Amino acid sequence: MAEKTNKYIVNYGEPVGMVAAQSLGEPGTQMILRAFHFAGIESTIATSGLPRIVELVDARKKPATPITYVYLTGDAKKSFDKAESIMKKISEVKMVTIIKRSLENFPKGMIKLVADEQALAANNLTPSQVAQKIAKKLNISATVDREKNILIKLKTKNVGEIRAMSVKIMKDVVQGLPDAGKAIIQQDQKTNEFYLISAGSNIRDIIEVDGVDKTRLYTNDVFAMYDLFGIEAARNTLVNELRKTLKEQKIGVDTRHLMLIADAMTYSGFVKGVGRHGLSGQKNSVFAKAAYEETVKHLVNAAAFSEVDNMRGVTENILVGKQIPIGTGSVRLAIKKEDMQKVKARSKKK
Amino acid sequence: MDNKKTFIYLNGKVIGFVNEPQKFVNEVRATRRKGQISGEINIAYSEKLNSININTDRGRLRKPYLIVEHGKSKLTLEFITKLKNKEINFNYLVRNGVIEYLDAEEEENSLVAIEEKDITEKTTHLEFDMAAIFGLSANVAPYAEHNAIARQAMSANYMKQSEGLYASNFNQRFDSRTFILFYPQAPIVTTVPYESLNIKKHPSGQNLVVAVSTYYGYNMSDALVLNRAAVDRGVGRSMFYKSYSDEERRYPGGQRDRFKIPSPTSEGYMGEHAYSKLSEDGIIEPEISVEEGDVLIGKVAPPRFLEENIGAGSLEERTRDDSATLKAGENGVVDSVIFTETPGATRTVKVRIRSLRVPERGDKFASRHGQKGVVALIAQPEDMPFTESGVVPDLLLNPHSIPTRLTFGHLLEEIAGKAGAVAGQKIDGTSFTQTGNEKLADYAEMLKQYGFDKYGDEIMYDGMTGRPFKASIFVGVAYYNRLYHMVSNKIQVRSRGKVQILTHQPTEGKARQGALKFGEMERDALIGHGASLLLKERMLDQSDKTTVLICKQCGAMGFYDYIKRTNVCPLCGNSSLVNVEISYAFKVLLDEIKSMHIMPKIKLKE
Repeated sequence: MAEKTNKYIVNYGEPVGMVAAQSLGEPGTQMILRAFHFAGIESTIATSGLPRIVELVDARKKPATPITYVYLTGDAKKSFDKAESIMKKISEVKMVTIIKRSLENFPKGMIKLVADEQALAANNLTPSQVAQKIAKKLNISATVDREKNILIKLKTKNVGEIRAMSVKIMKDVVQGLPDAGKAIIQQDQKTNEFYLISAGSNIRDIIEVDGVDKTRLYTNDVFAMYDLFGIEAARNTLVNELRKTLKEQKIGVDTRHLMLIADAMTYSGFVKGVGRHGLSGQKNSVFAKAAYEETVKHLVNAAAFSEVDNMRGVTENILVGKQIPIGTGSVRLAIKKEDMQKVKARSKKK
Repeated sequence: MDNKKTFIYLNGKVIGFVNEPQKFVNEVRATRRKGQISGEINIAYSEKLNSININTDRGRLRKPYLIVEHGKSKLTLEFITKLKNKEINFNYLVRNGVIEYLDAEEEENSLVAIEEKDITEKTTHLEFDMAAIFGLSANVAPYAEHNAIARQAMSANYMKQSEGLYASNFNQRFDSRTFILFYPQAPIVTTVPYESLNIKKHPSGQNLVVAVSTYYGYNMSDALVLNRAAVDRGVGRSMFYKSYSDEERRYPGGQRDRFKIPSPTSEGYMGEHAYSKLSEDGIIEPEISVEEGDVLIGKVAPPRFLEENIGAGSLEERTRDDSATLKAGENGVVDSVIFTETPGATRTVKVRIRSLRVPERGDKFASRHGQKGVVALIAQPEDMPFTESGVVPDLLLNPHSIPTRLTFGHLLEEIAGKAGAVAGQKIDGTSFTQTGNEKLADYAEMLKQYGFDKYGDEIMYDGMTGRPFKASIFVGVAYYNRLYHMVSNKIQVRSRGKVQILTHQPTEGKARQGALKFGEMERDALIGHGASLLLKERMLDQSDKTTVLICKQCGAMGFYDYIKRTNVCPLCGNSSLVNVEISYAFKVLLDEIKSMHIMPKIKLKE
C-alpha cells in the first residue's frame, strides 16, 4: 500500500498548477456546447454548468442562486409537522409575494393593500395576522376591512413619505428570516429524515433557530460559509461545489485538481478569485503581472517603486528567454565540477 | 386599456389605434391585393399582444404564396392556360392579387395548405409545390427531403465552391482567380428547379461510378479513393487561371512608373535571372512557362524617398524595382497578356497565368448531399475492386460516412443515377414528388430490366487477388463536384526563413513563407510536461535569440567598440561587460521602457 501510494506522489518540479488548470479548462470548453437540465427542485433553482464554475472560481461575493441545506435534530427529523414549523420560522415570506396590489390614497394618507388570497393560504396567513405583524414592526396602524383588504393609516399626508412607506411595506419580511429565501421540506430517500432546502444563504440566522442541526448546516454560498465557519469550511465548500457542478455535467476531473485550485484560492486566509484582482494580480513578478492584464499599470508601478523582478516564475522566464524553473529546469548545478575538485583537494589536505 | 383598443405599430413605432383590429387588417390586405398600396407592405395582427404590426422596412425575409379565398385558390385554370401560352408571367399574378409575399410576422396570421386538396374554410394561402418549402439553392440538389437538414445546408455551401463552367467567355476574362472544369457534365439525377434555372447552363460536376466500400483504410474518415484511369480520362481535371495586373502610376512632381526591364542599379534588383523571361518591353509573352520568383511585368518606380544629397557623379535617374513577380509556390504558363490604357491615361498590363490542376492527393470533392472528402489515394485501376461485368468504380466512398450523417439522399441518388445511366435517361429527383418506397420501386424496375440487382448491389472482385468479396457491394452513379480547395495552392514548408523586423521572430502566413505559430496553449502544454528545455528551444533558440552585452556594474546594455576593440558601457564607461542570451522581444521591451524615461537594469548572477 505504501509503495503504491508513494508511486503516485507528485514529483519535485511537477507543474501541478498548469496540469490542474488544463484539467479543468479542457472540459470547460465542452461545457459551453451542452446545457444539461434535469427535472427536480434542486436543479431548477441552482445555476449549473459553466456559469456556476465561473462564479466559484471568480469568488463572487453573492452567488446567483444561493441554496442552504438545513438538517434537523430530534423529533423534527421524523415528524413532518415539526419540520414544517421550523420551516415556517426560516422560510422568508415577503409582502410582495402575498399582496396583489397596493393602492395609495394621498389626500387621506391611506394605503390599501389588496391581498392575494391564494398566496396567503399557501403560507397559512390571514389578513389580520399580516396587519398585526406589519403594524408592530413598522409602528403604524393597520386594520382589515370587510373585503379582507389591509388598510394602513399614516399620520403624514406627504406624497413622498406615503410612497416611501408603501415601498417599505412591500419589501418587508412578514414571516421567516431575511435573506433566508423560500424553504421547502424534503425527505431523504435513504434515511427518511426530513430536511429543508432554502433559496437563500442566511446561515448566520438559520443556525440560531431551534431544532436545526448545527453540525450539518450547509450552503453553496462560499462567502456565507467563510463568514460563519471560517476559511477551512470555505475551502471545502469550494471543492464540494466544483465537484458537484462537474459531476452534474458528467465531467470527470480528479478531485485533487479541484483541491489544488481551492487551496490556491484560500491559502492566504481569505477567499480570492483567480482573476486580475485575485491570484494573478498578486504575483510577485512584475513581468508576469504585466503579461496578464493591465500591462501599463504594472510597469508604471514597478518603475515608480523601483521594483526588482527575481525571475522565479514561469512567465517572466519565457519572456526573457531563460529556461523555466519547472520540471527539467527546476534542478540546478549546486557546485561546478572544478570547484568540487578544489573542495576535494582541500579536504584531502586536512 | 379596459376598452379594447389595439395599437398599430409602423416599423416598431406607435402610429395610432383601432377598435376593430381584424377588420382593419383585412381591409389593409384587401387594398394591397388590389394593388392600391405597395405589395412590399406586410401587416400582422397579434391577438395575444393586442397589437397590429405593419412592416415596410428592408431586410425582411419574404416568401411568395398563392392566395386562397373562401376555400378556393385564386390561381384558376384560366390563369394556368394563360401562363402556359406565355401570355402572362409571375409578376402579372403578383400584381393581380393571385400571389402575395408574406414576411415572418404575417405568416403567423396565415394558414398555409401544402396541397390543393388540403384547403379548408380556414386556409388563407396555398404553397406552390411541396418542394417550395425549401429555397432554390436547396432544391438544386436531388432528394433533399431524405437528408438531414444540416447536411443539405452544407451541400448548398459546397456547390458554391465547386469548379465548373462559370462563364463561357472565360477566355476573354481576367478574373483574379478562377477554375474551369475540363469535362463538366449535366447531372443524371436532376430536379425541376435545376432544369429551369440558369445553373443548367453552367454545370459544375461529373457523374461518377461510386462504390460504397472501404479500401485498405485509404478512405477512412472522409477520405476518398479515386481511380487512376478515371482521373486520366478527365475526372475532376481543371484549369486554374490567375491574373496579375500592373499600371504605370503617376506621382506628384512629374515622376511616373515605367514598364521595362529594371537596370541592375535600381533599388531592389532581383538579379538577371528573374528577368530572363521578359521581352524587350519588359512584359512577358504568352505561352512562356513561368515558375515562382519569375518576373511577369517588369516595372521601375521612382525612389520612395527623395535623397537630399545626390552625388555629382551619378547622372543616371535613380529607380526602384517594382516588378510583378509570380508568388511563392505558383507556376504555370502565361495564357494571355493584354496591354491597355485606363481612363486616367495610364498604361495597364494584365497577365493571365494558366496551370493544369489534375486531381491529386489532398484535393477536395463533394457530392450534392453535404458529403465532402479529400482524395487520399489515386489507385491503379487494376488494384481496385471490379464488378462482374468488369466495371471499375471511379470513386470509393467509405460506408461509415452515411449512417451518422443521415444522408440517405446520397444512396438514393446513386441508385437513381445508376438506373438513369443504364436506361439512358435523366431522372427527376425533385423533393416530395414521390415517397421513398415509390422511388425505390421505380428504379428497381429499371435496373431489373437491364439485368442489374434491383437495389444496386453488385458482386465485386478484389483487384489484388481476383477473389470475390464475401459481401455484395453497393455501386451507383452519383454527381460529384470538385471543390476549389487544392493542396497545390495551399502547400507550404519552412525550416529557416524570413523574420519580422521589429521582433526578430519568424514571419506568419503562407505569403511570407511563414512558420506555424507556437501559441499560448502549446506553451501551456510544454509547461504541463515540465519540458523546460524544449520550451526554451521553441521560444528562444528557434525564435528570436540574441546576445547582448550587459554591464556587470550598472546593469545597462553596452556595445563592442570595434576601433578600440573593447566592450563599452555607455552609462558608466566600464569595460567589464558580459554576453547575455535574451529574447529579442525582451530587448525591444527594455528599449521601449527606456524610451519612457525609465531605466531598467539587469542584475547578473554567476
